[in-house]
Amino acid sequence: MSQEPGLNAGPNLAPAERLERTVLAAMSRPSLRYLGALGLCGLLVLMLFAIWGVIIWQGMGIAGINHPVSWGVFITNFVFWVGIAHSGTLISAVLYLFRARFRTSFNRAAEAMTLIALSVAGLFPLIHLGRVWIFYYLLPYPSERLIWPNFRSPLVWDVFAVTTYMLVSAAFFYIGLLPDLAILRRRLQGWRSRVYGWLSLGWSGSLDEWRHYNRVYLFLAAFATPLVASVHSIVSWDFAVSIVPGWHTTIFAPYFVAGAILSGSAMVFTLTIPMRRILGLEAYIQVDHFEALAKILLFTSLIVSYSYICETALAWYHGNLFEMEQFRYRSFGDYWFLYWIMILCNSLLPLTLWRKSWRRNLRWLFILSLLVNVGMWLERFVIIVNSLAREYSPYAWGTYQVSLAELGITLGSFGLFFAMFLLFCKLLPVLSMTEIKERL
Amino acid sequence: MEPMQVFHDREEFLARLRELRDAGHGWRDLDIHMPFHVHEVDEIFALPPGGVRFFALGGGVLGFAGGLAFVCYTVLSWPLITGGKPIVSVPPFLLIAYLLTILCGSLCAFGGFLLLARRPGFGEASDVDAHGDCFMVRVREEKKR
Amino acid sequence: MERRNFLRLLGFFGSALLPGCRKEGTHGTLISQLVPPGDGVMPGEAQWRASTCNECPAHCGLLVRLREGRPVKLEGHPDHPLSRGGLCLRGQAGLERRYHPRRVLAPRRKVDGVWRDLTWEQAWDLLADALHQDRQAGRRSVYLAGRTTGSLSGLIAETCRAVGLERLPESELYAHANLRAAHDLLFGRAELPQWQLTSADLLLTLGADVLETFVQPVAFAGALSEARQNPEFAWWHAEPHLSLSGANADRHLGLRPGSEARLLRFLLAGLVARSPWRERLPEDLRGLAVSPDLPGTAAATGLEAQRIEELAEALRQAERPLVLAGGSATAQVGGLETAVLAGLLQRLLDPEGARLSFARGQNYAALGTLNDLRGLAEALAAREIGVILVARCNPVYNSPDAFAFGAALAGAGLRVALVDMEDETSAAADLLLPLAHGLETWGDAEPVAGVLSLFQPLAEPFGEARGEGDMLLELWRRLRPDAPPAARSYRDYLLAAWEQRLVDQQLGDLARQGWVELPASAESAPALRASETAAVLGTAQGPAATATPGLLLTPSLRHFDGRGRPLALLSEIPEPLTTISWGQWLALSEADARNWRLKEQDVAELSLGGLRLALPVKIQPGLAAGVLTVSREALAGLPFAADEHTGELLAWRDIGQVRRVGRERLPILAGSTSQHGRGIIPDPVHQDAHPVATRSELYPEHDHAHYSWALVIDLDRCTGCSACVAACYIENNVPVVGRRDHLKGREMSWLRIEPYYDSGRPQFLPMLCQHCHYAPCEPVCPVYAAYHNPEGLNVQVYQRCVGTRYCSNNCPYKVRRFNWWEHRREAPLDQMLNPDLVARDRGVMEKCTFCIQRIRVARDRAKDKGRLIADGEVVPACAQSCPARAISFGNLRDPEARVSRLIGDLDPHRVFAGLGTEPSVYYLGCRRPA
Repeated sequence: MSQEPGLNAGPNLAPAERLERTVLAAMSRPSLRYLGALGLCGLLVLMLFAIWGVIIWQGMGIAGINHPVSWGVFITNFVFWVGIAHSGTLISAVLYLFRARFRTSFNRAAEAMTLIALSVAGLFPLIHLGRVWIFYYLLPYPSERLIWPNFRSPLVWDVFAVTTYMLVSAAFFYIGLLPDLAILRRRLQGWRSRVYGWLSLGWSGSLDEWRHYNRVYLFLAAFATPLVASVHSIVSWDFAVSIVPGWHTTIFAPYFVAGAILSGSAMVFTLTIPMRRILGLEAYIQVDHFEALAKILLFTSLIVSYSYICETALAWYHGNLFEMEQFRYRSFGDYWFLYWIMILCNSLLPLTLWRKSWRRNLRWLFILSLLVNVGMWLERFVIIVNSLAREYSPYAWGTYQVSLAELGITLGSFGLFFAMFLLFCKLLPVLSMTEIKERL
Repeated sequence: MEPMQVFHDREEFLARLRELRDAGHGWRDLDIHMPFHVHEVDEIFALPPGGVRFFALGGGVLGFAGGLAFVCYTVLSWPLITGGKPIVSVPPFLLIAYLLTILCGSLCAFGGFLLLARRPGFGEASDVDAHGDCFMVRVREEKKR
Repeated sequence: MERRNFLRLLGFFGSALLPGCRKEGTHGTLISQLVPPGDGVMPGEAQWRASTCNECPAHCGLLVRLREGRPVKLEGHPDHPLSRGGLCLRGQAGLERRYHPRRVLAPRRKVDGVWRDLTWEQAWDLLADALHQDRQAGRRSVYLAGRTTGSLSGLIAETCRAVGLERLPESELYAHANLRAAHDLLFGRAELPQWQLTSADLLLTLGADVLETFVQPVAFAGALSEARQNPEFAWWHAEPHLSLSGANADRHLGLRPGSEARLLRFLLAGLVARSPWRERLPEDLRGLAVSPDLPGTAAATGLEAQRIEELAEALRQAERPLVLAGGSATAQVGGLETAVLAGLLQRLLDPEGARLSFARGQNYAALGTLNDLRGLAEALAAREIGVILVARCNPVYNSPDAFAFGAALAGAGLRVALVDMEDETSAAADLLLPLAHGLETWGDAEPVAGVLSLFQPLAEPFGEARGEGDMLLELWRRLRPDAPPAARSYRDYLLAAWEQRLVDQQLGDLARQGWVELPASAESAPALRASETAAVLGTAQGPAATATPGLLLTPSLRHFDGRGRPLALLSEIPEPLTTISWGQWLALSEADARNWRLKEQDVAELSLGGLRLALPVKIQPGLAAGVLTVSREALAGLPFAADEHTGELLAWRDIGQVRRVGRERLPILAGSTSQHGRGIIPDPVHQDAHPVATRSELYPEHDHAHYSWALVIDLDRCTGCSACVAACYIENNVPVVGRRDHLKGREMSWLRIEPYYDSGRPQFLPMLCQHCHYAPCEPVCPVYAAYHNPEGLNVQVYQRCVGTRYCSNNCPYKVRRFNWWEHRREAPLDQMLNPDLVARDRGVMEKCTFCIQRIRVARDRAKDKGRLIADGEVVPACAQSCPARAISFGNLRDPEARVSRLIGDLDPHRVFAGLGTEPSVYYLGCRRPA
């Protein structure tokens, strides 16, 4: 016997029903404000592609990069966006293996953030290529000349790592979505029900399905967990495997992974605190959950601070001329201002989270998350640009000024990210209804 | 076909399952549908773990061995010296193999899931949807003896 | 020899293009595999022909590489007696002059301030009419040319006589007037001798910028390089500022401007106090035998007494010394006295003239001085001149502002300029006649008496341009139909002149190798005219050396007297001392900058009399306080005077107030000019405190069985002149990117000269791709665009490069250059491209390849002969062009190769060897400058 919830059901609705209604309400007809925000992001996206088109047409000279700083804002953005992706996988996969209950409030949004951040990040290796029209030389395919890519190059590792990460995250995301897509199929009407129905692959929640579902979810989580550690390690090896002073250090892998989690957690805050408010999800994403995530943010911030200290202290201690000069230049050279903002945002401000009241203050968490992301973006900029500006040959020392084109593309990438996230909020359930139901 | 027995309460549902198990029904005889996974059900029926793990393992091994073999083939088919490194460079090749292990293992696990859970399959979806968000159980048609 | 035979010889030995130059464009219809070319020139094969460089009066011999009938590379002729295969950066860039987009290609007339093209007929008519009218009106018509040697000089003289033109003395800014006047006084020869350096064991130069522009810089650099093989050789250079010559000398004496004469008097006094010089001093000059006043000299020159004494002692000890004054030392008030004293000193030290030969004089005798220009300006202003023809000189630019030559020109009836490109003088002209380039016409030059050097047409002149000789003959024919010239063309004239002067054997040499050296007359050194010398020296006491700050106008290494300004490549290559490429600047000492509170790239305004000069500032370490320098091309005018008596340019003037008026960015290409203790140049002073550890490599070396190419650069020979840089640009189609990209640091040079100032004076390091055996750039390229080929080269595959730029990041030497833009060359500069290698797309990385295109050609030839490439068969462009022969290239797998021998015994230095990159570029030696 079926039991339809009454249309005038009030606060005495079964919690599961209330959950479904709340989440579905977020997917209703878009408001003017939503369209306005989406439109603004859309303009930024157009700007990104327009500027990219000009770069392809005229040459990389439009950007501010030069000899010796031939990597600048584009690679900074690449590392930044890939880093943000890691926190999503941490929340959905790693915390799943650790059986942390609070993850269910965030994990859908976090996984979506992962995929979106990876998509945005994936643009940048293409944007920064001098001849993007032959980008496929980087892919292993049987070419006419029978030549393959150079697997010793960290950039090829990046191709494999980011592709693997993208596909595994997509698979993981999709698996997690299946039961929720079934809910959408059930609750929506018309063409939307049909589309979600196809996407749900006819999920019926039978015991057999659940049996295999659990196993695949566990395996995907188990496969994704080492990816969290290894993908950003591989991206960090773009730098660490080189001989550039300031890059050539073994600390980069854990340093970057911690930084990735730091910036990713901050981005989760940036996304979910307003989302919670706007979509009325206070019952499901609670302050306790934010506090738990804030502890992760603090922890990774401490690791990052330790890395800063380690790097600088070792540079001073071991007496390698080149590295000593590099670290002196970072703190006191042409970009000293950015370096100290980075320290402030990444190391000092997160220390406020030692106090419980600050951890539970959502307004502060939001502001802090914005500052941490600024700091983390600057960290990549500082690492890349400072090291390249002052390498081995003093004749070749130079500086780098960010050009308008690069600024436009950076803003465009943020626009793309938020545009895709807005679309996600409207098209897919922002909460993992099935998993939350388990704990209701 | 018997009608679906629908429960809104977890405990009632579990009690019914225990009844059915004690009545001699195995989990294969029953159509059980849940809005989310309830772990006690596995214990009640002593559910075997399922075959996805073989796909995951097979995929992983294929990814590792295949990846390593592929990369070694590419450098041996056209040996180019880069930076004085050995032609077969073990650390980066192991890295590629590691990534392919994860990729292949994940995709094979996913594929295995689709295969074993027989997705996409639309047989019972509408049935289940009609009842809404609840636990359901029904005994399947008994085989004619 | 019959003319027929001569021409046949030219054709047979291949030093001439076949008669009847083809029009450009026939190759468009050529199907190379199926239809052989009618003229026997196979596409894809290079031809080599001899010619002569025209970029400065030195006239070095050239070998020109032709591809598909176009000159694409200039190289020094290896056997040429003067340049011996070297070619300076101006010479290399001179190729650009032939293909310059703004060449004047048709006769032009200025009508109402607008240039209109004419036909030659119209031009000749105009000119002939004007000449007729002026002859009837009784006005003078004059012909003013730049320095002209060889047969053209004779033709000008004959033509001027025939048509009634007055031939004026030749006009050059650097006419060395004081030097010639001094030699006239001393020896009765108003000429510059040839200075023979190779056998000397001590060289003292005062002011003469022998490595930059002084008379024969390429020959000098080569001779100096050879002289330095003698470990006893020492070179002392005295000048008020710091020039490239001063940077390279073993000892630099930064004396007060104007005090050179004082120093020379001291040295003379010290010399004649003893035997044997006392005996050599003529009676009339006993007045010089005063007791040497060391403290007074030290005070006057600002030098340390010990240094002066050291120099005096060195002069006395030297067995074969050579003293030479010129440049800034003689281009001053009292410069004549300095020149006379130097000449006298040399005569005392070298009475037979073993190292100073007038028999092989520099052919400067026919040159006028600035006084002649002053006279001309006065005559022009007084409207005495009817037609003035100006050829190959720029008197409006290269005359002192005080002459107001440009304004005076307005007084002429018709102003005709024979030019290849527009300049200040042509802008003031009424009629322009387009001159063909030296590679497009017949001609000859005689830079030094007895050495005749050939010009021959290697390609058709562009547009309507013609050779000066042909123009003169045409003018003669039109104005004197009654007495036309015997020769129908300048070629005929030349052949006749050569037949008259040369015997068969010499004609054969000229045809075969493009130059001929006539036997020098075996005259002994001219006698010293003691009484005349004494007269001059007795009266002059020399001016008091100035104490106020002053500005010194220096000749420009890159632009000579300003004639190099249209050539973009010369501005693209940085000036070696400052590493500034595009732009004009004022060089200041550190002390002065502090004093006047000026920072680098501030714009300083100097008051020069009534004139104000504002230029951005560059701080030059090693420059003395109170001395500011400016290079010739930095000034739009010439606010300097000429000596009233000798007509020499007075390149020093006092300045008044200096103040800061703004800021202007200069493209200073060096990030830093200090090594910061990194041991880049192998001088123990600069090594980092931690010695370079010998590394054992983690990975065994790959085998390069047949070839392992290596480059050896001798830093003791290298002078930093940047000839190699220019040669590399042209050989490898390296794009010229311009000022905006230079300000961003995006210069494209594959090879660059890095000056390091850690010990006061700069030491120069040519830096290029080191072709490391453990190259950091190779493993990080994701697409194998950079890899190590079986011959030990680090190769860059342009077609494969996707432009990730990781290789550039990982290169510790930062020699990889990225194409930020698509660099299209403006036509016809695209015809100058070397077809042996591609011009790179945008987004592609490029770098030095050890001229792999030359290696490939050599390997193909050697393979045809069934052997490996022998030593010396591959010479990269940089090594080929170096006037000092500092660069050697070869195969390390060949134990007999020059590079193997150079490296084997000496354990030479490699830059950043401690990084374990195992470079293939080795650096030998390095003097410690004092």
